[in-house]
Amino acid sequence: MCGIVGYHGTETASPLLATGLQNLEYRGYDSAGIALVDSDLTVYKRSGEVESLLEVLPESSTQQRGIGHTRWSTHGPPTDENAHPHTDEDGRVAVVHNGIIENYEALRAELSDHTFTSDTDTEVVPHLIEEELESGATPREAVEAAVARLEGTFALVIAIAGVEELFAIRQDSPLVIGHGETGTFLGSDVTAFLEHTREVTYLDDGELAVISGAGVELYRDGESVEVTTEQLTWEADAAEKGGYEHYMRKEIHEQPRALRQTLSGRYDLDSGTVDVEIDLPREYLRSIEEIQIVACGTSNYAGRYAAELFESLADVRTTVEIASEYEFSGGRDPWRTLVVAVTQSGETADTLSAIRKAIRAGARTLAVTNTLGSTVTREVDDSVFIRAGPEIGVAATKTFASQVATLALLAVYVGRERGALSSNRARSVLQSLRSLPGAVQQVLDREDAVHEVATAYADSEAFFFIGRKYGRPVALEGALKLKEISYDHAEGFAAGELKHGPLALVTAETPVLAVLTDGSAATETLNNVKEVQARSAPVIGAVSGDVGESYLDVTWEVPDIGMFEPLVTNVYWQLFAYHVADEKGRSIDKPRNLAKSVTVE
Amino acid sequence: MHSDPIGVILAAGEGRRLEPLTNRRPKPMLPVGDKPLLEHVLTAAKEAGISEFVFVVGYERDRIQTHFGDGNQWNVSIQYAIQDKQLGTAHALEAASDLVDDRFVVLNGDRIIEPSIVSKVCETVTAGATTAAVAVTRLPDATSYGVVGLDGDRVTEIIEKPTESTSDIINAGVYAFDRSIFDAIDRIDSGVGGEYKLTDAINALADEQSVAAVRYDGWWLDVSYPWDLLSVTGRVLDRSTETTAPETNGYVARGAHIADSASIGQNTVVGRGSSIGQNVRIGPNATVERSVVFPDTTIGAGAVVKDCIVGANASIGANSTVPSGEATMIIDGELHEGVRFGGVVGDNATVGGAAVLAAGTVLGDGVSVGPGASVSGTVEDGVEIRRS
Repeated sequence: MCGIVGYHGTETASPLLATGLQNLEYRGYDSAGIALVDSDLTVYKRSGEVESLLEVLPESSTQQRGIGHTRWSTHGPPTDENAHPHTDEDGRVAVVHNGIIENYEALRAELSDHTFTSDTDTEVVPHLIEEELESGATPREAVEAAVARLEGTFALVIAIAGVEELFAIRQDSPLVIGHGETGTFLGSDVTAFLEHTREVTYLDDGELAVISGAGVELYRDGESVEVTTEQLTWEADAAEKGGYEHYMRKEIHEQPRALRQTLSGRYDLDSGTVDVEIDLPREYLRSIEEIQIVACGTSNYAGRYAAELFESLADVRTTVEIASEYEFSGGRDPWRTLVVAVTQSGETADTLSAIRKAIRAGARTLAVTNTLGSTVTREVDDSVFIRAGPEIGVAATKTFASQVATLALLAVYVGRERGALSSNRARSVLQSLRSLPGAVQQVLDREDAVHEVATAYADSEAFFFIGRKYGRPVALEGALKLKEISYDHAEGFAAGELKHGPLALVTAETPVLAVLTDGSAATETLNNVKEVQARSAPVIGAVSGDVGESYLDVTWEVPDIGMFEPLVTNVYWQLFAYHVADEKGRSIDKPRNLAKSVTVE
Repeated sequence: MHSDPIGVILAAGEGRRLEPLTNRRPKPMLPVGDKPLLEHVLTAAKEAGISEFVFVVGYERDRIQTHFGDGNQWNVSIQYAIQDKQLGTAHALEAASDLVDDRFVVLNGDRIIEPSIVSKVCETVTAGATTAAVAVTRLPDATSYGVVGLDGDRVTEIIEKPTESTSDIINAGVYAFDRSIFDAIDRIDSGVGGEYKLTDAINALADEQSVAAVRYDGWWLDVSYPWDLLSVTGRVLDRSTETTAPETNGYVARGAHIADSASIGQNTVVGRGSSIGQNVRIGPNATVERSVVFPDTTIGAGAVVKDCIVGANASIGANSTVPSGEATMIIDGELHEGVRFGGVVGDNATVGGAAVLAAGTVLGDGVSVGPGASVSGTVEDGVEIRRS
């Protein structure tokens, strides 16, 4: 999604801002811009890549402060005019913005004597500040007064010509300050400036940061508040491609290591116990009647996998909601409902909005996320981290595996606490989990075979993924991965549903990819394989044991590790999607129209 | 004047003598104390002050790139040069040609050395008197290596694997060059098996200009044969000062390494010189001595594993025994007698409960040994063995 950078210090700002924007490229964007400030203010902006912005930036400049932005269009198409920073009438106030200003139409109507040059919601902000400045307010008062009139979600960074300070404020949209040796950095996430400093301050909602040469001051409702800093331990630099053609392929290959980190030190095989360091009392866990999982996209499918696990291991009714559809309703007792938000970034706007509804209703909340210090972790009662390491490719891969593994640990934990799971059964679940990294590595070792099959079927009309039980979320995720990065039509179905409709779509030109492993009711799904085969569709099956290979056009073996075999199958689906997309020359790490962390609703 | 030279590490080789351990990973990725050989080379070069690297990769390069990424975890920068066909060390170095400047160091990715030798070869060429330097070291049996002919501190000739050795001074595989080495590489022909050898290029260079020999008597640890991995691991762990073993219920000797995500059952003994990889599970009452266990492997309760290399994601059943002893090994057509060696269990192999592997047994990748079976010798990949 959109990215923000800023710098105020003793070095020339322009190259620092440009690198910051390049660091944020992975979030996906369609235009970029920079404002450089001293006694004057100059704005450079372009639609398209950061590269084309670099072409219009002056080769040398002297300004030591400035702000920058990568935009992902919400209001108005990606054009030079709509790119940020936006300015006021005289070009003295520059603003970069993430989020959505909901009342911008009303504000724009009030500012009828102002000239607007873009279609964006953002542009009202510099004009509001201008009005306040003209009525005699100090710069800080002007920013505060303007922000007070905004409704919606935002992270804003403001620069004013001739004013020494930069201003930054957030409401429901992330913004972080980095304290470097040569100055202060701003970013919508820490990757914007990690090569310069790891000492950071996360802004809280409603806090205004005033950044000057002397450092940072924070204000809330006009009153000064203390600046607290923390040290990042994150190996952010793992965020580089290291010889791989695409982050996505790198991240697919990182799965064994990510899974080992996810599991490390969290369970004891001898006793069949789990410790995920959450602070929910046993009495509470015993009393819950329902777990509601709220999540979007890939995280939602991880949630569906988990729902099956919670039902069978923890004996608790579990529902999975698409976060944007979530309402707390239906006569549930909030005291006996645990709402679990699953989000890689911890910033997904739809998921945050759902979790806030749950909090308002009085339910307990838990976050399962990859990102320490993210917004969701500061709103829920407790968090469990999936420890997958940074994921840059827009299409989630290793975080799906680590989410499912983390949720499985959680299911065992809750099952044991509730007395629903025997230590024997827990041990066998944990043993299957422990086998995941080795099994995934074996699939990665067979990438050449997957590559060949992907090349052979790349030009098919459509792709259908089928599976039962734990195989069903994997079928959905396999189809999502393929459509995200190859732009091909792909759908995932519960295998039994084919004959109730989708079978009409199946032809000789639509390969069907079937999950036929332990944990996916393979024998029954084999009947559905026969149905599609009778319609001449080629069938690619992920198989463990001796399940009817004679019905398959392509057989991919899944190591025999028990109930988590569908999760291992997903690695075949990831590699298949990757190689189909690569064959077609798609922009794999930044698919069209998509962004990594979707911070708008 | 250029600042610090770039370090070129040759890591494209397969290591066929180490099969089946090199079926799925290149030799530089074999673990020594839970870190790949290549990581030991990298950290030595880094201690010598090198911060920019080019890794020449080829065979199974994904394994190297996944582990090292862009090098930031080690505070260095790594670029990758790809050698598609493994046509010798000179051919490998040529792959890095576009990524190096006028002075650079070349190292082998599968030989552990000390930082001092890297600094010394660097200094020799940056001092400016010569444009090429070769580190040399003494070895009692030099015939399997490149024997170096010297004239004072000048290299006259390097002879690869001579049938009769005239000297115990060998090429340590640590070099510093300027770009003239690439001209020399252009001039040489391929030798036996179509390989372009870096030593041939150095000989060509030595014919026309001075190539300095830099003497070195520090660590020079080479893994030529599978059992070398055990002795090299022992030496590295003996010197290591870190004690990283997680909390365990077993007994872990000093000079053993247990990865933080491994788990050791009650009363299990892990002896000196053993290295236990990530996510390994060893059940209760087992004994593991002087063995290297790769990641994700399971060793069952009561198993006894001595002088053994257990590949990744393998499984050794309860009460199985790898007793070790004097073994006779044939590797690549060569006979080795009297080797103290328990054996090799390949990646993804499974050994059933109460099976016995005689000293020197080599189980290939994915081999399955049934419960109670007794096995000896070399077993090809994927074979199933049942007790008759």
